Amino acid sequence: MEGVMVGIVEDPYRLMEKWLKAESFMVIGKGVERADSLDKALGRAKFVEDFFEAGTLFVKQVLSTEPHALLKGVRADEALRSPKVLRVITAPDIPGENQVGYALPDQPLLAEGKVRYYGEPVALVVGNDVDEVLKAAELVRVDYDPLPALLDPLKAMGRSDVLIHDEAAGNIAFRTKVRKGDVSKGFSESDVVVENEYRTHHQEHAYLETEAALAIPGLDGRCTVITAAQYPHLAQSIVSRVLGLPASKVKIVVPYLGGAFGGKDDEGPLVAAKAALAAYLTGKPSFLIYSREDSFLVHPKREAAIIRYRSGASKDGKLLAIDVTIYHDTGAYANRGPFILWRSTVHASGPYEVSHAKVDGYCIYTNKVPQGSFRGFGNPSVQFAAESQMDELARKLGMDPVELRLKNMLRPGSRTITNQVLDHSVGIAEAVEALAKASGWGRKRSEYGGGRGRYRRGIGIGVAWHGISTSRGVPDWSNAVITIERDGSVTVRTGIIEMGQGSPNSSHRQIVAEVLGAPVDKVNVVFGTTDAPDTGATHASRGTSIGAIGVFVASAKLRERLNSLAAELLNTSPDNVVIEGGEVRVKGEEGVKLRWEELVREAYARGVEMSATGYFFLPKGKFRDDVGQGQAYPAYSYVAAIAEVVVDTYTGRVSVERVWPALAAGRIINPVQVEGQIEGAVAQGLGYVLMEQLVFDGKGRIVNANLTDYVIPTSLDAPEVMKPVYVEDLFKYGPFGAKGVGEMAFIPIPAAIANAVAHALGVRIYELPLTPERVYFKVRKVRGGPS
Amino acid sequence: MFYRMPEFNYFRPRSLKEATDLITRLEDFKILAGGTDLLIDLRIGRYRPKNVVDISGIKELSYIVDEGGIIRIGALTKLQDIVESPVVRGKLLALAEAVEQMGSWQVRCMGTVGGNLCNASPAADTAPPLMVYEARVKAVSTRGEREIPITKFFKGPRETELMRDEILTEVIIPYIDGAGTATLKLGRRNAFTLSVVAVSTLAKVSNGRFEDVRIALNAVAPRPVRAVRAEEFLRGREVCMEVIDEGSKLVVKDISPVSDVRATAEYRRDMSVVLTHDALLKSLRRAGFAIGGE
Ligand SMILES: Cc1cc2nc3c(=O)[nH]c(=O)nc-3n(C[C@H](O)[C@H](O)[C@H](O)COP(=O)(O)OP(=O)(O)OC[C@H]3O[C@@H](n4cnc5c(N)ncnc54)[C@H](O)[C@@H]3O)c2cc1C
Repeated sequence: MEGVMVGIVEDPYRLMEKWLKAESFMVIGKGVERADSLDKALGRAKFVEDFFEAGTLFVKQVLSTEPHALLKGVRADEALRSPKVLRVITAPDIPGENQVGYALPDQPLLAEGKVRYYGEPVALVVGNDVDEVLKAAELVRVDYDPLPALLDPLKAMGRSDVLIHDEAAGNIAFRTKVRKGDVSKGFSESDVVVENEYRTHHQEHAYLETEAALAIPGLDGRCTVITAAQYPHLAQSIVSRVLGLPASKVKIVVPYLGGAFGGKDDEGPLVAAKAALAAYLTGKPSFLIYSREDSFLVHPKREAAIIRYRSGASKDGKLLAIDVTIYHDTGAYANRGPFILWRSTVHASGPYEVSHAKVDGYCIYTNKVPQGSFRGFGNPSVQFAAESQMDELARKLGMDPVELRLKNMLRPGSRTITNQVLDHSVGIAEAVEALAKASGWGRKRSEYGGGRGRYRRGIGIGVAWHGISTSRGVPDWSNAVITIERDGSVTVRTGIIEMGQGSPNSSHRQIVAEVLGAPVDKVNVVFGTTDAPDTGATHASRGTSIGAIGVFVASAKLRERLNSLAAELLNTSPDNVVIEGGEVRVKGEEGVKLRWEELVREAYARGVEMSATGYFFLPKGKFRDDVGQGQAYPAYSYVAAIAEVVVDTYTGRVSVERVWPALAAGRIINPVQVEGQIEGAVAQGLGYVLMEQLVFDGKGRIVNANLTDYVIPTSLDAPEVMKPVYVEDLFKYGPFGAKGVGEMAFIPIPAAIANAVAHALGVRIYELPLTPERVYFKVRKVRGGPS
Repeated sequence: MFYRMPEFNYFRPRSLKEATDLITRLEDFKILAGGTDLLIDLRIGRYRPKNVVDISGIKELSYIVDEGGIIRIGALTKLQDIVESPVVRGKLLALAEAVEQMGSWQVRCMGTVGGNLCNASPAADTAPPLMVYEARVKAVSTRGEREIPITKFFKGPRETELMRDEILTEVIIPYIDGAGTATLKLGRRNAFTLSVVAVSTLAKVSNGRFEDVRIALNAVAPRPVRAVRAEEFLRGREVCMEVIDEGSKLVVKDISPVSDVRATAEYRRDMSVVLTHDALLKSLRRAGFAIGGE
C-alpha cells in the first residue's frame, strides 16, 4: 500500500465517522462477559499486595500529628536501633524534585520545612521485617513548632496574618468565574427569586483495597513500579521527577485494582513515588501499603463545598438568571482543586438554558486533608444545589418540578452558561420524559409528599450534565497499540486501567472485536502499563469513551487493511468484504470464503502490517478564562434519576426504596457494565447523602478515620434500582458514539434523594448529609416533634 | 498481615480446669474467646498484656440447652449459633432479635456471647435482652463457682464483677411464661452497625394492666441499664397508649447519654423514648395484646 493512500484511508476522523454510522452490531450493545470475572470470582486475580514476597523491604509512613507547624527536625536514632530497620527517609534524601502538585506546584512528596495537615507524610521507614518497621515508625520523633491552624474556609480566605503557603499572597489557591449576559437585568425581569446556601461535605473513597505500590530496581538504573494508580504515565512522570531519572527508565504496571473512584488518581502516583524512593535509596525491592487509618488520613477527599445560589424565573417558568458563589475547602494543598472548581463553575446552571449567569468560584486552603478527585469531580455538589433550586422555584411557581425542568432543559442548539452552542448529542429531555413515565412520577408526586403521620413518602428528581474530556483547551487525547498476532489472536495495549469498572476487559474487547470482525475471545487486552502509549488517565468517565478512542481507531485502521487484502484475495472491492465473528464473506454472496486465521496468515505472507496505533487528539474550541465563556467541553453526557423515599419522622431515618435511572450518554457499549456502574453509584451516592461524614476535631484531625465510625451503606441499605432508560445520543468522537457513564451515574443521586426527602417532609435541609439525627431535629423544629 | 500486633505469650488450654489453673498463676493476661473485640483492642493498644489465654479450644463451653424452666447457654457459644437456635427463637425472641442484628455473619461466626458480656462495652447488644430476661451468669475459678445476676454484672465501660482469676462459663436464663419480648436497635445504617441505642422490653398483661414490664437499654449510659423508673410507673397501670407514651418518656431518668461521633446525647435521649415506645408495643403484641392506633 502506498503512503499517501494509507494517510487518507486511515484518517481517524473518516474512520470514526464510518463506524459511527454502523447500524447493526455483533457484540456492541450486548452484555458480553468480562475477561476477568472468573479469575476474580476464584480469587486468582492479582492486586498490588499479591506481588509482595518474603524478602521484599517494607515501607511505613510517618505522618504529621500537627495540622500546621514548622518542621524542626526528624530524629531517627531510636527507630534505627533495630538492625532490621535500614533507613528513615525524609525530604532531604530525595534525589530529584520534592514537588508533586498536580494543578499548582505547592505540594511536597514528603513534608519540607512545614507540615500543613494532620496526616501529612513526613518520613518513610524502610526495613526487612514488617513488625520491626511498624514498631520503628512509632519511634521516629518529629519536632514541631506549632502554628495557628485554619480549618474554616470562609475564615481562612480572609486571613493574611496566617498563610498556609508562605509563597502565596493569601489563602485562596485559585479563582474561577463565568459571566454571561447581565444578571441584574435577569433578576429584575424575574417574577420569582429563590436564594439559599448549600453545604456539602467531604467523602472518603473507602475502596476495598488501600493504596499500595511495589518498586523493583532493575538493570541500568531502571525502576519498575507495580502500583495502584489510575494513570500509568502520570505515575511514571512523578516517579521520574522525584528520583531524577528520565521517564524512559521508569516502568509502571497497574494490576487489578480494588476500586479507585478518583482517589488513586491523586494518590496513586504518590504511593508509587514513595515506594520507588525507598527502592532507589536501598537498591532493593520495596513495598508500601497504606493501613486503612493511614488511607483515611492521607489521601484527598471529595470536596466540601459551600454554595450560595440565587435563581430567578418568570412566572411561566423560564429560568432567567442565576448568581452562584462556590467555595471549596481545598485543604492543605491545591492538588486537583482548581480543575475540580472549574468543573463545578461551568456546570453551575445544571442542564438548563439560562440567559444571564454569574458564577464565582474560590478554592481555599485550610489545614485539613486535601480535597481531590472523586467520582463526579466537583459536579455532584453543584448539581445538588442547582437541582434543589429548581425544586424551590417549582414550589414557588406552583409548577411540577419535571415540567419546570423540561421547560428549561438543554436541547440541540441550546447555549450553555459559557455560551457554548450544543450542536449535537443532547438527548436529556427525551430521557427525562421517559423517566417520568417509567417511575409513575405525575401520580406519585401528587399522592405523596408533605404528609402527616410518622412515615412520610416522597419522590424526587435529580438531573445532571457532565462535560466529556478535559475542560476548555486543556489537551486530551487517546491512543493504543493493537497487534494481530500470526495465529489470529489480538493483543491490545492500552494505558487504561482495570479498577473494577471493566473497560479493558469488556468494552475494549467488544470494540476491537466488532471493528476487526474477530471473535471476542481472540482479543486480549494488556492494560494499565507504560508499555502502552500514553492513553491518558482512567478517570473522567473516559475508560470506554475518550480512553477507548485509541483502540477504536487502531482497530479501524487494521480493518481497512484487512478489507483491502480480502478484496484482493476474493476479487471484489473492499466495501463488499464482510468480516464477522472470524468469518470472511462477500456481500451478497453465499458461504464463508475465508476464515479469520487464513486471512491473517495471508497478511503476514504478503507484507501487510498487522500492528497499528490509534492516536487521536481531541479538537477543542476557544475559551476565555477571564469571563468563563467559550467551549467548555467537546460535548456533555447527561443523566437523571428519580428516587422514592420513606422518612420515619420519629427517628429521622430515610429509607430509599426505589431509584429509576436514565442516561443520555451516547452509545451503550455493554449494558451489563453500565448497570453495574449505576448500581454502584446509587449505593455510593446514597451513602454520601445519608450517612457518610468525616468528623474533624479542633486540630483538623479526622476523628473517625476507620470503618467502624465512618459508615458506608450495606446491601441492606440499598434500594431497588430499576432498569435504566437509555437515550443513545451519539457523540461524534466517542467510540461508536459512547460518552461515558462512570461518574454520570453518581452525579444526580444526592440531588434526587435530597429532593425526595424535601418532598416527603415539606421542608428542605440545605446541608448534607441527611443523617437521621439532622432529619429528626429538622422535623422536630418545624412541627414540634413526635407524639 | 501489614498491621502490628504487640508481642505476647500465647496459651491455649484444652479444658476449663486447665484454663482456671493457668490464669490463677499467670500475671498480666487477657482471655481470648472469639477475639473480635480483643484483637482490635490489642492492635489499637487499649490493652498490652504479657500473656494471652485463648479459651476457644474449650469445647465444653459451647452449648444451648433447654432444661425446662431455664435455658443454659455456654459462654463460648458463637453468636451465629444463637441466631440459628430454635430454642432461642422460640423462647427468647428478644435475644434472637438482638443477636441477629449484631455485626455481620463473619463476625457472628467468631464472636461469642461470653465475649460480648465480658467486654462490657456500653453498647453490648446481648446485654439489653439478657437484662430483661433477668439472666444470671456463672463465673468459675479454682476457688469454685458462683452466679452473678446480669443486672449486677456490668460496673462501667469495660469493667465487670468478674475477679481476675474467674472465667465466665455460662449464661442462665429463666423462662418467663405469658410475656412478650422484643428488641429494637437503632444504628447508623440497616446492618453491621454499632448501636446508637438499642432497647429490649418485656411485657406481661393481666386484666388489661401491666403485670410485669421490663425495659433495658444500651449505649446511653456507661453500662447497659434497666429503666427502673419507667418500669415502676408502668407496672400495675392500665395498658393504653397514653400510659405507654408517658411511661416511655420516663426512660430518660435512668440514662445518661453522651455525645460522640455516633450521635449526640440529645438524639440518643429522644431515641431512647421512641424505641422504648415501639418495643413496648411490639412486646404487647407478642403477649397477645394489640393496642389500636398503631
Ligand atoms: C466488625 C465488628 C462488628 C461488631 N458488631 C457488634 C455489634 O453489632 N454489637 C455488639 O454488641 N458487638 C459487636 N462487635 C463486638 C464483638 O464482636 C462482640 O462483642 C463479640 O460478642 C465479642 O465476643 P468475642 O468472643 O469475640 O470476644 P473476645 O474479643 O474474645 O473477648 C472480649 C473481651 O471479653 C473477655 N472474655 C471473653 N470471653 C471471656 C470469658 N469466657 N470469661 C472471661 N472473660 C472473657 C476478653 O478477655 C476480652 O476482654 C463487633 C465487632 C466487630 C469486629
